Amino acid sequence: MDVRNNRRDMTGASVITANRLLDGRIVWLAPQGWSEAISQARVFDNAAVEDAIRQARAADANTVVGIYGVQLDPDATHITPLTVRERIRAFGPSVHPDFAPVETSHVH
Amino acid sequence: MSTDTATLPVGRYAYDQVDRTFLSQRVAQFREQVGRRVAGDLSEDEFKPLRLMNGLYLQLHAYMLRVAVPYGMMGADQMRELAHIARTYDRDYGHFTTRQNIQFNWIRLEDTPDILERLAGVNMHAIQTSGNCIRNVTCDEFAGAAADELLDPRIHAEILRQWSTLHPEFSFLPRKFKIAISGSPHDRVAARFHDIGLVAHPGPDGRPVFDVFVGGGLGRTPIIGVHLRDNLPEEDLLAYLEAVVRVYNAYGRRDNMYKARIKILVQALGVEQFREKVDAEFAQMNRADYRLEPAIVEGIRARFGIPDLDAPADAARKLEADRKADARFDRWVRTNTHTHRHEGFISAVVSIKPDGGIPGDVTADQMDLIADLADEFSFGEIRVTHMQNVVLGHVRKDRLRDLWRRLEGAGLGTPNIGLVGDIIACPGLDYCALANARSIPIAQKLSARFANPELQENIGTLRINISGCINACGHHHAGHIGILGVDKRGEEFFQLTLGGSAENDVAIGQIIGPALPEDETVDAIARLIDTYLVLRNEGEAFIDTYRRLGAASFKDAVYAPA
Ligand code: HEM
Ligand code: SF4
Repeated sequence: MDVRNNRRDMTGASVITANRLLDGRIVWLAPQGWSEAISQARVFDNAAVEDAIRQARAADANTVVGIYGVQLDPDATHITPLTVRERIRAFGPSVHPDFAPVETSHVH
Repeated sequence: MSTDTATLPVGRYAYDQVDRTFLSQRVAQFREQVGRRVAGDLSEDEFKPLRLMNGLYLQLHAYMLRVAVPYGMMGADQMRELAHIARTYDRDYGHFTTRQNIQFNWIRLEDTPDILERLAGVNMHAIQTSGNCIRNVTCDEFAGAAADELLDPRIHAEILRQWSTLHPEFSFLPRKFKIAISGSPHDRVAARFHDIGLVAHPGPDGRPVFDVFVGGGLGRTPIIGVHLRDNLPEEDLLAYLEAVVRVYNAYGRRDNMYKARIKILVQALGVEQFREKVDAEFAQMNRADYRLEPAIVEGIRARFGIPDLDAPADAARKLEADRKADARFDRWVRTNTHTHRHEGFISAVVSIKPDGGIPGDVTADQMDLIADLADEFSFGEIRVTHMQNVVLGHVRKDRLRDLWRRLEGAGLGTPNIGLVGDIIACPGLDYCALANARSIPIAQKLSARFANPELQENIGTLRINISGCINACGHHHAGHIGILGVDKRGEEFFQLTLGGSAENDVAIGQIIGPALPEDETVDAIARLIDTYLVLRNEGEAFIDTYRRLGAASFKDAVYAPA
């Protein structure tokens, strides 16, 4: 996998992401399963995230693809990735605000 | 099977039953593979190469489907099917690329077999739009229409398509392989930036011959293709290309993906040694097996529909009068048309670069409109260009103003072809999983900033190309001004190159200094253009002034703002 996808600091926090197999949409690992909204994502301390990624890969290889961790911006008030790339994944293409992921309240 | 010329689609090759059966078998096969993946019988590692063989990528937000438009030619019926796919399976739009393909960015894996089935229904597919094989052969967007054309390159492009499609020996090359073919002395296909570039013209006896360039390419290591030979006779076209690709297949590097393209091999061997190897292979081949007899070529040509070019005697005079009567129309004719070989006709370029818009994006409704306009004004024939625009090849001059009015009404009448607004941009970080930075917003800001058509015309010919990473899908090295997105600790920066060109005056742009932050890039380019306006001599385009003065005069403008 692309190194950029794994670029994380030793300290700080991360969330875990993937693409859903059936429709390719971006999902975030939430306390119960995968959510389309990053706001629902479970936040891991970077010391614990590698284990969580391994577990998710073992459990969900047939429902999601490309599981990896995303470093969060420590200064942001909401859950916000540190890099432009991951912010675009989380909040939609910057050139089509109408395509932003819809906040869904349920987690599936 | 007899060919009834009256029913042949104009400008493109008519599939026969064998082609159609093959496509439907491929769709059934992929449907089964998707089923096995969803059932968990195939792992992602096993499935990925299978989906890529059908043009299905996993991109930043969703699956992306890349559909081939062979040598950029399609019919109104095919465009309508693309509109239907955009509307039904995507978010109401598609994206034309620099390789004369169309990409859909929001595709669901589940829907893909149905989409491929619909495409097959109009003789289209996504085969060989990915992977280490010979990709879609690209061609001059004015093929068969341009006044300066010596030979219609589509016939040979179709022959190459048939030769390369599922070629058993060339399905697993060291890396992807791209061929472009031009039939005009004016290179409109970037022939010298392709793995193989062919320039066709009539030989001494009037039969087609080809000048062959090899080992050009952009990407990480931009290289201008070397001249391999002149006057390759038509009958040896397939044998000789087979020899070139064989040498590449045998000697190309497979240990390092970044050194696997034929350009690296040609540079490593040197052109003399590369040519010797090709000649040796060519000499020992059984050339009779590959011989392109005139009858075979004519058989292919016979499956292309020909437009009935019949215009009223005063068509050209009517256009002159229309231009005099309407200054805006006159401007559009100046920028967005190309001279046709028939005096009563003209080729019209539909700009897919509205001011502030996303280069190459078309909505489903616009696709339907383009299809209708093609039916009404250009024999149902449509071309997509490597500049991410659309061409209606044969428009009667006396009807051009009607066409323009209809385009204008749909936001498709921007008069900017070849000017600063006609920017090539790859999808960049907004969509592409490999990107370092966004390309589209820079293009949007630049085209909005230079929206004034008088200013654009005053600035004159200027090619701005933007890529979101080193892969160079947006041809930044070939731009007069090239913009390359780079990543610095997760933030977007842009490196400027100057002086590139993909035409006869082919050149690779030179980096002028350190990369700029996103919020300074557009201003820096505006200063660059202002500087050119001050420094230029009468009649010079940007590239001329740059070549006369060199980078230094422009560096100050970029890095030392007043
Ligand atoms: C969004 C998905 C895309 C991916 C993953 C992708 C990937 C790549 C890669 C990896 C290369 C470098 C190949 C090499 O040098 O070996 C490349 C080159 C290229 N791609 Fe793309 N690309 C994408 C989209 C596009 C689009 C949208 C266009 C047209 C606008 C395009 C046209 C090209 C061209 C012209 C090159 C340069 C090839 C050369 O001369 O070396 N690609 N692409
Ligand atoms: S140049 Fe890079 S960012 Fe742009 S489409 Fe190609 S791979 Fe993606």
